[in-house]
Amino acid sequence: MRANSVGWLLLTPTLPILFVFGVIPFLYVLVIGFMNWNSFAANPDMQFAWAENFRRLVFDDQFLYSLWLTLKFAFFAVLSEIVLGYFLAQLFMKDFPGKGFFRTIHTLPLVIAPIAVGATWRLLTVPGLGPLPYYLNRWLGYEFNISRYIDQAFFTTVVMDVWHWTPLVTLTLLAALSSLPKEPFEQAQIDGANRFQIFWHITLPLLKPAILATVFIRMMDALRTVDEVWMLTGGGPGAATRYIGLHIWRVVFPKTDYGYGSAMSLITLYLTIVMCWMLYAGLVARRDLKRAE
Amino acid sequence: MAPVSISNVRKRYGSAEVIHGVSVDINDGEFVILVGPSGCGKSTLLRMVAGLEEISSGDVRIGGRVVNDKPPKDRDIAMVFQNYALYPHMTVYDNMSFSLRLKGRPASEIDTKVKRAAAILDLEKLLNRYPRQLSGGQRQRVAMGRAIVRDPQVFLFDEPLSNLDAKLRVQMRVEIKELHQRLKTTTIYVTHDQIEAMTMADKIVVMHDGVVEQIGAPLELYDRPANRFVAGFIGSPAMNFIDGQVSVVNGQPVVKTHDGIALPVSIAPAQLRDEQRIVYGIRPEHITLGGGGHTANVSVIEPTGSETQAFMKLGTNPLVGVFRERFSVHPGERLDIRLDPEKAHLFDKDTGQRLA
Ligand SMILES: Nc1ncnc2c1ncn2[C@@H]1O[C@H](COP(=O)(O)OP(=O)(O)O)[C@@H](O)[C@H]1O
Ligand SMILES: [Mg+2]
Repeated sequence: MRANSVGWLLLTPTLPILFVFGVIPFLYVLVIGFMNWNSFAANPDMQFAWAENFRRLVFDDQFLYSLWLTLKFAFFAVLSEIVLGYFLAQLFMKDFPGKGFFRTIHTLPLVIAPIAVGATWRLLTVPGLGPLPYYLNRWLGYEFNISRYIDQAFFTTVVMDVWHWTPLVTLTLLAALSSLPKEPFEQAQIDGANRFQIFWHITLPLLKPAILATVFIRMMDALRTVDEVWMLTGGGPGAATRYIGLHIWRVVFPKTDYGYGSAMSLITLYLTIVMCWMLYAGLVARRDLKRAE
Repeated sequence: MAPVSISNVRKRYGSAEVIHGVSVDINDGEFVILVGPSGCGKSTLLRMVAGLEEISSGDVRIGGRVVNDKPPKDRDIAMVFQNYALYPHMTVYDNMSFSLRLKGRPASEIDTKVKRAAAILDLEKLLNRYPRQLSGGQRQRVAMGRAIVRDPQVFLFDEPLSNLDAKLRVQMRVEIKELHQRLKTTTIYVTHDQIEAMTMADKIVVMHDGVVEQIGAPLELYDRPANRFVAGFIGSPAMNFIDGQVSVVNGQPVVKTHDGIALPVSIAPAQLRDEQRIVYGIRPEHITLGGGGHTANVSVIEPTGSETQAFMKLGTNPLVGVFRERFSVHPGERLDIRLDPEKAHLFDKDTGQRLA
């Protein structure tokens, strides 16, 4: 009990801050989500609208499309980051000349601000100016134009996210890999497992908590990407890369539809939580269920 | 089951050689123990037999075939590690059945084998537990069960008992020995504990600093240690060593210590030179009470009930004796003792090799 009260005492300074900057804005968004409030509307005042905003959402093609795009983006980005990050982590587990140098270089994208990442990639890819379209065309005869082709724009945002965030995955998986005991791996060799079987039956299950934690973090981050994509494509061409964060921004700021924007944010938050929970349930809880039998 | 032959095996890490040409022949079904102080290369040697460590030079044969270049999975061996190396994410059942599942054996066969091993090791009630839910002794059993299920050519054990408490260790020692008598699988067992080696082995290999000091049956090593190292390593409490010089009196050699005490030996004079510098060794249990012409100063007495250990000084030389009798001598008092000349061991002072 004593230890408990000391714990609360230590937390005391943080709690008001958390309350002011975390809980109050959240409650505010929650309230506004149930309001009709648009400063350009005929009636710019806040009015209670029951669940009208949420009802509108369900039939809002633009919102649903944007949501679908975001999921697609998060799926491709996070999957590639995990796979690539795993291989890089395995590479950094081995010794090779210049390893320290490569590891440092490879983590540099992490310290760059998203807005700068977006700007850099914009400069790389902007049609008519960027080196990427120029050389792709010159060497491979490939027409690369992210202002024109939907798929190219989409995959460029994915590649940019992978470029930016794979190092984070590498670092977490590297930490997890180096903390694994080495005996189960030797035992598995003796038990007759080949490399793939060792990966599948030993490495993967032992890394699962770390992979899962990384997927959570990256998933949540990817679902709320705004600034990088905004710099790179501005959400275009058309609405091809207008991910949910960008979409909400458009609704709330240029269109000043605060109530509707809040409702979108809430639904997005809710979906994120549900998805993470399903991931968790699917990957972790299954074992607990099996044990309970 | 298969014989194992290790011939002139060396191991280098970079430029440092840690195993300097070791040769051991292990017969089919034999229980061989590699024993030696920490860091002498026992684990390295065992891991080379297992295939977990590359062999720098020399050959390892299992069942007559050179396996140097074979990965562990093709050597048909089972190994028990010091910290058990259980798969933390698998139940006891899954841990034990893993190798059979990899081989794609039918489920019914796997089940029979796992259940049988579990019965032998008294693990039946624990099959659905995870390693973290087991005590040290139970984990140890699971690691053994995993090895038994395989029914391999050779069992390899690397200090499997050193993480257990003393009582459990004695119990598991007996169980492992019983298991070997039942399965008769060739076994190589590593330990730093000479008592484990003496009690369990058919044949002991004493290692020291990457070389084999002596190979032999437990009692052979006890009775005729080949050199000073083995003499001091095997036996508990350890053998007493006293530096001295041979001096032939009336054609009969005795050992004179630097402070002039004469220690009787029963070795033929032909084998000793006059004034040869030697190390005289006698085991604590070969010192008896009374009537031997030596008097020692007692510094500490340790009665254990079954025996009495006395820490003494013979002249200026420290001497430990173990006596069956109970007696009360106070520290500082004198004790009449006899050093059995038949049981004395003589080693060359410079080479440490046994004389005669
Ligand atoms: N990977 C390694 N690199 C360099 N030296 C090693 C390595 N592994 C073991 N050694 C050295 O080899 C010697 C034997 O080690 P080991 O076989 O573990 O001894 P033991 O099992 O008898 O205690 C030790 O001196 C140890 O420092
Ligand atoms: Mg060792």
